[in-house]
Amino acid sequence: MRPKNTFFSLRGQTIYWCAAILLIVTAFPFFWMVSTSFKPLREIFVSPPYFLPKDATLANFARLFEQTRFLIYFRNSVFVSTMAVVFTMAIATAGAYSLTRYRFYGREKIASLILFTYMFAPIMIIIPFYVLIKKIGIANTHLALIMAYTAFCLPFSLWLLRAFFQSIPLVLEEAALVDGATRFRAVVHVILPLALPGIIATAIFTFILAWNDYIFVRILITSDNLKTLSVGIADLHNATVIDWGMIMSGGMLITIPVLVFFIFIQRYLIAGWGTGAVKG
Amino acid sequence: MKVSSQKTGIILIAPSVFLICALLVYPVLYGVWLSFFKKHSFFPEQRFVGLANYLYLLRDSEFWMSLWYGTYYSVSTIVLQIVIGVIAALILNEAFRGRNFVRGVVLFPYMIPTVVAIILWKWLLNDQFGLINYLLLAVGIIEDPLSWMGKDHIMTSLIIISVWEFTKFDTVWLLTQGGGAEKYIRTLPVFAYMRTFMYYQAGLGSTLAVIMFGILIASTTVYFKMFRREEGI
Repeated sequence: MRPKNTFFSLRGQTIYWCAAILLIVTAFPFFWMVSTSFKPLREIFVSPPYFLPKDATLANFARLFEQTRFLIYFRNSVFVSTMAVVFTMAIATAGAYSLTRYRFYGREKIASLILFTYMFAPIMIIIPFYVLIKKIGIANTHLALIMAYTAFCLPFSLWLLRAFFQSIPLVLEEAALVDGATRFRAVVHVILPLALPGIIATAIFTFILAWNDYIFVRILITSDNLKTLSVGIADLHNATVIDWGMIMSGGMLITIPVLVFFIFIQRYLIAGWGTGAVKG
Repeated sequence: MKVSSQKTGIILIAPSVFLICALLVYPVLYGVWLSFFKKHSFFPEQRFVGLANYLYLLRDSEFWMSLWYGTYYSVSTIVLQIVIGVIAALILNEAFRGRNFVRGVVLFPYMIPTVVAIILWKWLLNDQFGLINYLLLAVGIIEDPLSWMGKDHIMTSLIIISVWEFTKFDTVWLLTQGGGAEKYIRTLPVFAYMRTFMYYQAGLGSTLAVIMFGILIASTTVYFKMFRREEGI
């Protein structure tokens, strides 16, 4: 058993101090973003700075909604990310089920192909991808983005889901088949409910990846109306006079959905922390 | 299992294999192909030039600078990430009250959009009104405000941000936007991006991507050779 780390032992003290520093370094920038986004203009540039707004205001948010296309970008982000999740999960769930439940020629080769493409970085395929998208004639459409995200999320989704399916005993399915269920019913009523936590976690990862993406939008989208949040906010930031209050309020609104989803899947990440991630 | 069920298995995996091949493997191979051409990013015409793009880069000082900045950036970021990561993991492995809360919060920076991380740190590191400069001045570590986005410190800023958010590739590119010191942190991906989308040299851009891919494959191979036994991949 581990020795108890009470607040009064030297060991306990050291751990608490280190944990506090870790917490401040990671969380303080977020706090500063939230604090800035509620400050009126004159408080943003005051020296010495106020840690909390004295006259908290929603003026920054009002400017963001009225003077920029933030809401259009928001809608685009929601649409593109959701579609990417729907396609990726439909394709990857079927694929991962096949990889764990069927034996066929080339199965192991396909698994290594997936692991290999898992390592591709966006910058390596972005140039040929762009040239090809241009050739097909779907540059500057949401379809191009959805294709890019689906392609990019497939390898890791397949890999994660494969591990989740592997953890579900075959016996359960066989029992359902013996009881007279069709294979399809066995999957829908026995396997999918058991795999659901894994499917949700993978879906959220896909969503966050699509939501956070910058580079594909920057390259594939040219119309302002089709831009998503990350490029939209980056362009606001590149304006000649930077409205820090407005930018911070936008940054906060982009981050909230990610953090909400993240809190949902946290326990999977933390469970993996000690044991060396999901077992393959 | 029966032959018919084999067929079902293949049908179920087919869409995944098709998409991975069409949208990931094919573009990479097409990129290798393009790297032997002189090709404009917009217009369709292309001309076979053999190894000319590669030879051009070997003689291009901008390429060697990018390679140097990229290596410097990657090595410093990775070393810091490993050191800090191991210390953090050791602390978070200990039993203390509120551990789960800290574990969750520590992962926040990793999840947020890179764009948000960049604007957030640009605000914190702002030379006139940034909190960091204010604190450093107040404590007396510096006497004049540091220009964090200027040419002397932009690499340091980049490394701080990357370590904080446990890095994604876009970080470099996004930090370069709207600043004069861009060329002091121009790494290979940024260089490739600029060649393709600002100078419209898709062939040359592809050549750079192939070189990066080669570097990645080489380092991954070393990694697998070193760790294959232990992890049983």
